[in-house]
Amino acid sequence: MLLEAKSVAKSFGSFWAVAGADLNVEEGEIIGLIGPNGAGKSTFFNCLAGDTLPTAGRILFNGVDLTRASPEAHARAGIGRTFQVPATFEDMSVLDNVMVGAFLRHPHRNDAREQARRIVELTGLKPDQSGRSLGTPGRKRLGIARALATEPRLLLLDEALAGLTPSELREAIALARRIHESGVTIVIVEHIMEVIMTLARRVLVFNQGHVVASGTPEEVVRDEAVIEAYLGRGARRPPLTPPPAGEH
Amino acid sequence: MIKIAPKGAGLCLLAAALLLFPFLFPDPFYQDIGVAFLLAAISASAWNIVGGYAGQVSVGHAMFFGLGAYAPLLFYTLFGWPPLAAIPVGILLSVALAVLIGLPTFRLSGHYFSMATIAVAELIRIFFGTWALVGGAIGLQGPAVARGWWDLTFRGDLAYYYIFLAVLGLLLFVTYEVGRRRFGFYLRAIKASERAARSLGVPVRLTKLKALALSAAFTSAAGSLYAVKTGFIDPDSGFGILVSVQMVIVAALGGAGTLFGPLVGALILVPLQSAANTWFGGGGSGLTFIIYGGIIVLIARFEPGGLLDLWRRLVPRLRRRAHAA
Repeated sequence: MLLEAKSVAKSFGSFWAVAGADLNVEEGEIIGLIGPNGAGKSTFFNCLAGDTLPTAGRILFNGVDLTRASPEAHARAGIGRTFQVPATFEDMSVLDNVMVGAFLRHPHRNDAREQARRIVELTGLKPDQSGRSLGTPGRKRLGIARALATEPRLLLLDEALAGLTPSELREAIALARRIHESGVTIVIVEHIMEVIMTLARRVLVFNQGHVVASGTPEEVVRDEAVIEAYLGRGARRPPLTPPPAGEH
Repeated sequence: MIKIAPKGAGLCLLAAALLLFPFLFPDPFYQDIGVAFLLAAISASAWNIVGGYAGQVSVGHAMFFGLGAYAPLLFYTLFGWPPLAAIPVGILLSVALAVLIGLPTFRLSGHYFSMATIAVAELIRIFFGTWALVGGAIGLQGPAVARGWWDLTFRGDLAYYYIFLAVLGLLLFVTYEVGRRRFGFYLRAIKASERAARSLGVPVRLTKLKALALSAAFTSAAGSLYAVKTGFIDPDSGFGILVSVQMVIVAALGGAGTLFGPLVGALILVPLQSAANTWFGGGGSGLTFIIYGGIIVLIARFEPGGLLDLWRRLVPRLRRRAHAA
């Protein structure tokens, strides 16, 4: 097991944003986390990345307890992440941005530069472009490139593909596939169902801090609890439509 | 047609101008301004490592400057040490103080670090003003007559000019090397987004602490140079808030977080101060505060990136015009 999150809970005062969620991730999987706004998936995600300290529960990565570890320790252990709002280092070039991540495994400048160049090429970015001049798609891509430069075993993508045009989305999905094929396990939080249905093999659905359903994309979209979470009690129509057969 | 000099040529020109300045302007008045310029450039460049590159704005760097300034004169007064021998003591004390302040404050986010630096600097100033061992409010004096070159007590400004220039050269070289290495990349990442830097494995607190320690070491050296040059130190000239503010203003005016920004800032501000003192005499001393205040407002409103940033934006425009002509 690569990642084991056991009964993870997080409260803010009397409000439980995550009320005991479990997640087991095997090496080589792509797992999607979905749920309506405020369902607790981002808080759970931040607990996995070390950004938020869980109130209860345990998080084991590769058998090592990372529950109370810092984000730096998560990165060192092999967990990379992107941010919903890309935190680009604006005064730095694309290559320099990626080098910051590459320095984690390659302390010497030339080695880090070499590694960063490989990643920039893989992600289709221009190395000399300044971070400031990038648009939303470029910033999202740079976020992924930077995380990849840390050479993670597990990549946590937090709405990394939101705000993209359909053609940009197709490119981004192809990029995520290439990353997965290179041996990186992926957990993805995403609102765009096309992304989840196309990429994920297993989906967890969050609602009010709980995991209300899990299974293959086809299973969860027909789950009564999922329909209720998205459309409210009494709804009968499936809210999520799987893509036509053959697109997987 | 306008020609923009390439980077290397500009650097050679700057080095030549700094090296030849005392011969081009042999008048003691100008040499004094030259030494003041170098001291301001060293202090602001030292502040720049933590304030500019790492974005951790210290408004109490006078604490390191003051410790560096007191150390040589205190050890001379107590044990007759040559000032040169006590400069490393000042540096060590400053680095220790930097770690002491950085350890708790870098755990916090926001402006806590800035507030803590102001508070500590003021506390030290008040404490030194009442501590008899360091001369209280009167302060300390250095050797009146040199016992040898190691007392660093020279008649004219020429020797000081070249000593200060050598220290500035060393500091700029260290800063340049820092900028090229992992440490420098980490500093810039921390300045842009601590959260993102953390997610990439950057040890944020340790990196900030190292930057503060390095910055404190050079600021302390600047204080020592000031003390050996003037041969006198008191709490206000060592630990005064104006000493700290000047470092911030000089760096911000030229361009905080750039290698040559503090030099540009010093080049403008030091002659301006000197001119104000000349024009208004003793009555112009309060004018410094007004000038500083005005500069803060102008930088914050129009050029947060400093003058070097403005220059960088203007160069492409000038190039385009030059090509069009």
